[in-house]
Amino acid sequence: MSCDDVRMHLHDYQQGRLGRQAQDAVRAHLDGCADCTRADAVEQELTRLLEHRLPQHPAPLALKRRIAAQWAPPAARPSWWRGWRLWLAPALAAATVIVVAAPVVHYEQTAARQAREQSAMVTEAVNDHLRLLASQHPLDIESGGLHQVKPWFAGRLDFAPVVTFEGDADFPLKGGSVGYFRDRKAAVFVYARRLHTITLLVFRADDLPWPSRGLTRIGGLETTVTTERGYNVILWRRGELGYALISDVDPAELKQLPARITPAS
Amino acid sequence: MSALANQALAYVDALHNLARYLTGNETDAEDLVQETYARALRAEHQFTPGTNLKAWLFRILRNTFLSSYRRRRNDPTVGGLDTVAAPVEGVESTNWLLGDVELDRLRKVVADEIEAALMTLSEESRTVILLDLEGLTEVEVADVVGCAVGTVKSRLARARAALRQKLKDYAR
Repeated sequence: MSCDDVRMHLHDYQQGRLGRQAQDAVRAHLDGCADCTRADAVEQELTRLLEHRLPQHPAPLALKRRIAAQWAPPAARPSWWRGWRLWLAPALAAATVIVVAAPVVHYEQTAARQAREQSAMVTEAVNDHLRLLASQHPLDIESGGLHQVKPWFAGRLDFAPVVTFEGDADFPLKGGSVGYFRDRKAAVFVYARRLHTITLLVFRADDLPWPSRGLTRIGGLETTVTTERGYNVILWRRGELGYALISDVDPAELKQLPARITPAS
Repeated sequence: MSALANQALAYVDALHNLARYLTGNETDAEDLVQETYARALRAEHQFTPGTNLKAWLFRILRNTFLSSYRRRRNDPTVGGLDTVAAPVEGVESTNWLLGDVELDRLRKVVADEIEAALMTLSEESRTVILLDLEGLTEVEVADVVGCAVGTVKSRLARARAALRQKLKDYAR
């Protein structure tokens, strides 16, 4: 084996990836070649450097949570069916009891599940807002007005965000970026109110657990108004799109916005 | 959640690490990882049980990066095909290997310097070095980057030589 051959295979040799014969050949060469022995030491040092000193960038917790939410719903369906199939015979035998009890149980379970899922939507909205606040570069497009921000989203989303509020002296539009809401992309519009930041997320509304009870009517829109961790959140849907408005401004001020963002026809 | 999804989520740190070194910034890295999982979810039925899930996810991540981010950014440090970049990177590297002085210098390299040196390499060189560090076999790396196994071997050797060459500048 020549020095060039040995150098080419040093890393594999150190990782034990060579076949036995090649491994022995490299070892024999190293025993008799001072230059290649030094090269071997340098290769080992490089590996040690990469393994011990190269900074690692683990995923942030918020990203892990978003991805887990993304994967959960489709995966849940088969297990539901498998469970039912296994218990189909006993379930039929107890049909009479179930017919009586099911509506009550179903109502309670559905209500509890909906409450959990709706709470998860609010948590997601607040987390997205916090992520934007914490970001060094929260805006991909600085605002020169809505006519600049909206076209910027073209090609970056699989829908066109319908937003009519251009911002004004009280609520200036600062800019926009592309973010995520649960498992889907979202258009992120950022408004300001004095020194407060207001985040508006616009996303596809399908397959999300939208609340059907406890709605608050604002300017002809059925909305969910809630507070989490000190942030006021307003959720609503209009047509095929969903909207989430998050800020720490006064709720009365925040409530001025939904009807301006998506005026009721 | 399916068993596959559970297993896939175990690799999010490794995928994010590669994404961070490919895109060079946190925002794009997170978007790239999220898009990778979205694509993996859609293609879940295409995964062959018994094959390496981690390598499969890495392949989706890299393909997503190549199809979306590199084209969008038009950034020479992000792009760069190895067939063009590697021979340039690899030049003179072997000469520097010789001698104990160089070995001593290498021992003094700090974290920021090795990260900076790695980021100057072509996307393909960074990828093969990082996938090798992740413990993927050469067969798996070849599958991720879409080339022959023998090519991976030479590309990895060239990439490591190029990295040593870059580190020479930092380690003075």
